[in-house]
Amino acid sequence: MEVRIEKIGKEQEELVLIRCHAVTEQVQEIEAFVKSRQGSLSCISDAKKYEIPVTDICYIESVDGKTFLYTNDRVYETAYRIYELEEMLKPKHFLRISKPMLVNLMKIRSIQPAFNGRFLAVLNSGEKIIISRYYVKALKAALRGE
Amino acid sequence: MEFKRFLINKLILFFMLSTLITVAVSVIGSAFAADAQLSYGTLLTPIVYAALCLLPTFVTWSRHELTPKQMLLRKALMLVLLEAVMLFIAFTSPTIDTGRIQVVLVIAGSVLVIFVLANLFVWLKESAEARQMNCDLKAFQKLHE
Repeated sequence: MEVRIEKIGKEQEELVLIRCHAVTEQVQEIEAFVKSRQGSLSCISDAKKYEIPVTDICYIESVDGKTFLYTNDRVYETAYRIYELEEMLKPKHFLRISKPMLVNLMKIRSIQPAFNGRFLAVLNSGEKIIISRYYVKALKAALRGE
Repeated sequence: MEFKRFLINKLILFFMLSTLITVAVSVIGSAFAADAQLSYGTLLTPIVYAALCLLPTFVTWSRHELTPKQMLLRKALMLVLLEAVMLFIAFTSPTIDTGRIQVVLVIAGSVLVIFVLANLFVWLKESAEARQMNCDLKAFQKLHE
């Protein structure tokens, strides 16, 4: 697939156009990637496709090779791997807090100790998730803006 | 937690325990049998005790992150196993006079007190860390609102 980048004037609206013979899996991946950069993620819930704003996601979990996005009231599945989302969502204040989990720092209400160097993140939804001891240092640094 | 990482932590704990048990044996020995004659084999006692005391700590290992409730239960189980190991050592050791109930109570009590104090100190330290993280979290969220 040929890739062209065309500079336009500020009066024109920016646009990503994919011209293809068929909407293949690869094209869908590119579309999803572009949308994720815009601040939304493609996902599935009850066999329906959704585009959910990244700011609505409380945390992301990988379970048995599948990746789930948790909002205040719903769970969605996405095709992205957790390490892909970790890189993609770093600028959106998402941080890894255990091997299978990323959390939206803006959705944490408070942090509590949880034995053995681990901590508990209490989310705005009231849900509690474990911060593994090996990610505590990175969390402290991120909160201090380091 | 990866098992390899867990084992490394246990190795560190083993050396710490060996040192602390040496101190405990010398204090308890001075109080109850100050004139006792000890063999070279006795020098290995803290290492053997540390190795045996390390075994109950393996109940806290889990491939998945345990909830605080699960961790608390496993720690309680660890304390029971620790008491069992220590009393087993005491009753099988020819140098410890388990005929005297005070000796048995001091051993059981020491394990309980050390276990509770160690966990209490860790909890207080982690509570202070959590308070600091909460302050940083509020500042972070205000900055990025």
